[in-house]
Amino acid sequence: MASVAGGSTAQTPPVKAGESARARRPSVGRQLLERILSLREGSIIVVTIVTAIYFSANTSSFFTGDNFKTLLPYFAPFAILAAGEVFVMILGEIDLSIGALYLFAPILFYKLDASAGLGLVPSVIVALLVCAAVGAINGFFVAVVEINSFVTTLATLFAFEGLSLIVSHGTPVATPGAAQHTTTVNVTHVVNEHKITLPEQVHHISTFASVFGGGVYSELIWAVVIVIVLQIVLTFTRWGLYTVAIGSNKLGAGEAGVSVKAIMIRNYVLCALTAALVGIFEAVRAATVQPDPAGANEILFLAVAAGVIGGTLLTGGSGTVVGALIGALFLGVLKDGLILQGVNANYLLFYTGLAIIVAMTVNVYVQRRRRGHGG
Amino acid sequence: MVADPGSAAGPADGGGTEAEAKRAGVDPAEKVVPPRSSPDDVLRVEHISKRFGPVTALRDVNLHLKKGEVLGLLGDNGAGKSTLIKILSGFQKPDGGQMFLHGKPYAPKSVDDARAQGIETVYQDLALIDELSVYHNLFLRRERLLKPFPLLANRQMKKEARTALDEIGINIPRIDVAVARLSGGQRQAIAVARTVNGDADIILLDEPLAAMGAKEGAQILDLVARLKEEGKVSIIMILHNYVHVLQACDRVSMIQDGAIAYDKPTAETSVEELTDIVVNEYRRAREETHEEAEAAKAQQAG
Repeated sequence: MASVAGGSTAQTPPVKAGESARARRPSVGRQLLERILSLREGSIIVVTIVTAIYFSANTSSFFTGDNFKTLLPYFAPFAILAAGEVFVMILGEIDLSIGALYLFAPILFYKLDASAGLGLVPSVIVALLVCAAVGAINGFFVAVVEINSFVTTLATLFAFEGLSLIVSHGTPVATPGAAQHTTTVNVTHVVNEHKITLPEQVHHISTFASVFGGGVYSELIWAVVIVIVLQIVLTFTRWGLYTVAIGSNKLGAGEAGVSVKAIMIRNYVLCALTAALVGIFEAVRAATVQPDPAGANEILFLAVAAGVIGGTLLTGGSGTVVGALIGALFLGVLKDGLILQGVNANYLLFYTGLAIIVAMTVNVYVQRRRRGHGG
Repeated sequence: MVADPGSAAGPADGGGTEAEAKRAGVDPAEKVVPPRSSPDDVLRVEHISKRFGPVTALRDVNLHLKKGEVLGLLGDNGAGKSTLIKILSGFQKPDGGQMFLHGKPYAPKSVDDARAQGIETVYQDLALIDELSVYHNLFLRRERLLKPFPLLANRQMKKEARTALDEIGINIPRIDVAVARLSGGQRQAIAVARTVNGDADIILLDEPLAAMGAKEGAQILDLVARLKEEGKVSIIMILHNYVHVLQACDRVSMIQDGAIAYDKPTAETSVEELTDIVVNEYRRAREETHEEAEAAKAQQAG
């Protein structure tokens, strides 16, 4: 990247006297790079772009529209999960229970719709509310009882993964409203000026399914909207300001009159809601509700990783939702790229681990440089 | 307990001699300045006590504050100064006693409640949020919001923060940087500015000159002098340096063993007298420790 910036040095336009301060900067390219790097998300943006360029150069099928669709499920759900997790991480706490709620929400959704006959949308809403209540319980034990958040949410992680197995009897079921209807349509093709009509199969899903995760771009749209809204909440509202304040100086925030406990509980509720939402999306997308705690745990850790890679400190006081989205994108690009390169499935997790360490090292290095520049 | 202190003893005057007499006594339980009050007191504190488990932080504290007055609070480490400040600011609740604000009973439920009633505090080292900008710190819990969406009005807050800092003569080069990047003195100045910026009529300053160079400390004392001149706010400040106390305060109170043991206008006292009291306290404490050790030895021998 340095060579790219350096290359345009010669093109520096002559500067007016009033701009002498700017003239010290070598080039527009470098200025732009520094502007990007001065963002908290800057380093991971650069790392993600470099990773994407690497895979594009090595795999012809990487930079294609079809592959973009393949990539989506590798990152959109993690972006949503990480967006909620960031709100807890900025507090200097952690929420491990998102793995359990990711698992529990679709099972509850299934039970409410199939067994209780509540209807699709009301079932989603009730499932989300129940998970929000679990978030409030997490928040209560962390903020009021003052049990370490790792321990509290580890307990709820186990408890609700267990409850998921109990309620579902460990058996996968078809997700309500996600069934795919296949119809045969006659499509006319023109081949060598001859019209040929052939029967083709077309898949349909319900409006409910296409909104709640089943549609190709459904999760992407949800992810983008949720990330934008939560980033605005974090940067431009009292809620966000107090979240940072608590993570930076909990005692000081309390003494200034910030209702520390209420904000902490609220952030746990938010985190639980995003986890439940993603759980339902993924169940609708896959059309089955899988009671699989091991898979849920991996998703939990990838979501936390996305937040950390995106530039949110585990120690609290600082973080970004947009960064979490880009962190999730990095993990998605990595997984997709490795699969396209034909990496053996057994090596996938191993390479992911190595890549996270490399990405974080670059991240830390760039951030140090950034501080050194006094940006 | 005195239920109606408003009608009790008239304007305080004999405080000095009373305290002097107490000082002569050996029994620390008797070394308590009794509640005194006058009609123009903005704040009265009577028989306040506070325990933390087995530790008695405050035994029997009586204090009063006139409008526009600057009261210096002295006391050894652990004497209970900070506990008293925390009770006044609503952060902790007293176990016993009563407080009166403008003659009406005052029992803050929270820091917010105390602030709503006009009592603001600057805490030792805790006041600021490192990761937030100068102006966000100045406006914490008093944020200006946009309409119709309640988003933070950052531009307005920046502008008002700049004006407020200029008005009270605090020089901070950039107000949009995180306060973590400022010097100790600048941080303290911002913490003080935050309280002044509010609509407080009683300001509590917990060691406002800690971690400050002479030049920056002088800035804060100037600020206090300017506030005193305006006469709108009353100030209680915890200080360690007696010269600062005599320079900045109208009156000085000293906490010993969880009670106010000394209370005098600064005009009637001196650095020598204040030093004397503390030296005597140390001497007495040493003798007590010595006696206890002797008693323990005797017990062992017997």
